[in-house]
Amino acid sequence: MPTETRHRSLTLVATRSRLAAAFRPGNAGVVYALVLIVIVLTALSAQMGRPSYLSATNITNILDQSSLVAILAVFTTVVLISGNFDLSIASVAAFSAATALSLVSSLGLPLAMAIALGAGLVCGVVNGVIVQLVGINAFIVTLGTMTAVRGLVLIVTNGRTITAKDPDAQRSLISLQAGYWTLSHLLAIIGVLALVAGAVVLIRRRDRRAGIVAVAVGVVLIALDPVFGYEVRLSKPTYYLIVIAAVTWAVLRHTVIGRRLYAVGSNAEAARLSGINVNRYKIGAFVLNGLGSGFVGVLFAAKLLAINPTGLQGTELTVLAAAILGGTSLFGGIGSVLKSVVGALILFTLDNGFNVLNLGANYQGVIVGTVLIVAAAIYTIAGRQRQARGGRRSAARATPGPKKQEALR
Amino acid sequence: MVTTLLSLEGVGKTFPSGIVALRDVRLDVRPGSVHGLVGANGAGKSTMIKVIAGAHAPTAGTMRWKGEEARWRNPGAARNAGIATIMQHVPLAPALTVLENVFLGSPGPWRLQRGRRAELDRLLDRVGYAIDPDAEVADLAIGERQMVAILQALATGAELVVMDEPTASLADAERQVVFDVVRRLSAQGTAFLYVSHFLDEVLDLTDQVTVLRDGTVVEDGATAAYDEDRLVQAIVGRDLLAAERRAPTPVETGRPPLLTVRGLDSPAGVHEVSFEVRPGEVVGLAGLLGSGRSEILHAVYGADPRARGEVLVDGRRVRRGPRAAVAAGMALVPEDRNAQGLVGAFPIWKNISLPDLCSLASGRALPKEGAERRRAVRAIEDLGIVCPGPDAAVTELSGGNAQKVVFGKWLYGGARVFLLDEPTAGVDVGAKADILDLIRGFTAESGAVLIVSSEFEELLAVATRVLVIREGRVVAERAAHETSEEELLMLANGFDGGGAPDAD
Repeated sequence: MPTETRHRSLTLVATRSRLAAAFRPGNAGVVYALVLIVIVLTALSAQMGRPSYLSATNITNILDQSSLVAILAVFTTVVLISGNFDLSIASVAAFSAATALSLVSSLGLPLAMAIALGAGLVCGVVNGVIVQLVGINAFIVTLGTMTAVRGLVLIVTNGRTITAKDPDAQRSLISLQAGYWTLSHLLAIIGVLALVAGAVVLIRRRDRRAGIVAVAVGVVLIALDPVFGYEVRLSKPTYYLIVIAAVTWAVLRHTVIGRRLYAVGSNAEAARLSGINVNRYKIGAFVLNGLGSGFVGVLFAAKLLAINPTGLQGTELTVLAAAILGGTSLFGGIGSVLKSVVGALILFTLDNGFNVLNLGANYQGVIVGTVLIVAAAIYTIAGRQRQARGGRRSAARATPGPKKQEALR
Repeated sequence: MVTTLLSLEGVGKTFPSGIVALRDVRLDVRPGSVHGLVGANGAGKSTMIKVIAGAHAPTAGTMRWKGEEARWRNPGAARNAGIATIMQHVPLAPALTVLENVFLGSPGPWRLQRGRRAELDRLLDRVGYAIDPDAEVADLAIGERQMVAILQALATGAELVVMDEPTASLADAERQVVFDVVRRLSAQGTAFLYVSHFLDEVLDLTDQVTVLRDGTVVEDGATAAYDEDRLVQAIVGRDLLAAERRAPTPVETGRPPLLTVRGLDSPAGVHEVSFEVRPGEVVGLAGLLGSGRSEILHAVYGADPRARGEVLVDGRRVRRGPRAAVAAGMALVPEDRNAQGLVGAFPIWKNISLPDLCSLASGRALPKEGAERRRAVRAIEDLGIVCPGPDAAVTELSGGNAQKVVFGKWLYGGARVFLLDEPTAGVDVGAKADILDLIRGFTAESGAVLIVSSEFEELLAVATRVLVIREGRVVAERAAHETSEEELLMLANGFDGGGAPDAD
């Protein structure tokens, strides 16, 4: 598709020119934090003579453990960017899980899953319609739906743990999330992607240097592949997460929809007067969040093959913590789904680290809470400093006198 | 004997970021005087007020308060010394009563102390103003809040009251009340430092005036020696009134109307409004604050969901709602640019492309950032927006430049009907002339403009026709060259034109 390739090349140019900015601590701090935590945990585990923290198995495990929360964090970030708030995600996921489990034996997985996803979607619609069309604060509405939907879970499960007993149903559920897919020749795959991207840049004559570099990197990676032959083995939910996060990121970053969502979240009135249908975007974010919660609920049911009435309770706060660690603003208009995913990874890396190091789980709450507040403090201070820097730049570069608008006369 | 209450000698302020906001500023405020401080946006008025109020420490020079060198450690120190500052957006606690707000800063463990009520009565008596001490501030009109803020300042025993744009959002009658109070108190010995964009107010009210330009004092003297032209020249450093008062281009009356409004009605305060605007015409809506003039604009644009009636652009009916309005070629420049016009989290280029994003996107879905930036660069050049570049945050811009960005949103997307709500409010004199020129530019390309302004003089300078609005209705129509500011004011107040020839 020509439009797509043109877009890709433009993106590459933009990426190159703004690469330095993207790696500034103010922007990528959450990534550095994750790296730092991993380094500290690796050093500690090596020193204490425990199995290597950075082993492939452990990394695969961390990714698998964090995938469900990270998927929820992706969609929650979308709602937060739109300027709203959703506390009901965990209840909705539990409701979908209960729906799927109670229907899977009689209806089969595809239909049961469709109904479970539909249940999540309806919850999202209810949230969105009440918040936007009735005009009640999202915190209050979703606090209500959180409680009410949890009540529905109790009704569906009749207060007991329900399980999928039918072996066929069990098998189909297991096939949905258990197991690993192996991606071999990782270097070669990345190399080919770099080669293609570089070729596109060169053909479209956007930026010769960036194109040549990309092509060279691609060739080197392909050449190295037989020597190193990296293999990546990840669980299915990890792949779901990667696809969902990548698609959501691309939509938010590169489409009209994404731009308008940020505008709506940052200043709804200005967006409305610019001709944007604000309700559509805000309700859409809720609906997407409901659908995503439903999907996570089905994955959760497939993982445990059972759900108890209090399943997933409290997960909404972990998800919000992940989004906040990722620098998402609770007031709308600011946030990145990729950083929220990294936020979720930080939470689960800490969790996993406590287990690997065999430290008392009693300390965990204190440390996670501290990390969250420190992260928020760093974002706030970095934001202030950036403002001061921006002010200095504008003073230095401001054009001297205003020019008259000859063009308009 | 102290002859100056507050004096600044060679005061400078350089921010840690490197911005020089004030250079070698001098100022002498005498006891009991009303001292005007004027200057364009970004001239350093706000910084100067903050230095005086103790919110910023000066980086050079000395400040003397009653003859002694003063260095405020914080705003509280300035207040205790007797300097009260009333900011543009009055920071009152809306859920508390007038009485509680007036004595908000006073010490003591109890919420309502005995004697406060009597003290407030004495204050009100001194000021010559009446207000219910038990009314909640949230229920007060904006002018009354301004008075509560003044009372609050006096309750702290202020000898100098610094007022930053106190009348910016006030109606005429409320404005008069503030003036009376200022005059009365200054006669009793309280000094005022009065910052305002409204030069007529400054000329009318103050007895000394200081003009700031680019962070330094360019003129300083008795107000009696100034008239409006001289002040404007001092503020901008060039002669602008000539351009502002240039006669508008004549309109061909034979062409079919570009915008037709029929029977517009809204519970927000619009009743049976019908009018037409031809291509090349600038129609002014003249009305007092609260007359429904902004509501009419919002109803025409479809931003008011409860509005009923017909709006046609080029003879075609426009569905209700801003989306349909934008598609039909309408553009709204709203009154409050920060709350309604600009997306604060976006840089200039994303703001400018926002209404027309689809046509700047491949397949109407993927925005082409290169094209967006080029459009922003063009807007910056065409409009003379003073900024570091298209990537600058809109929150860093001064009022006039931010307003130009709002205009830039609509210039290149094929908009032909411009609805402008107070386009020059809070904009300095230089930028104001640019914006008025811009509006004339719209009509030169046979667009139609509907403009609301509380400055009737400005309406007359730019409009071809003026509709007078009162209580949500169009009560009169005048050709701009056949009417005067006085007649418009009379009509807007409900008198029938003061002897001027009637339209029918």
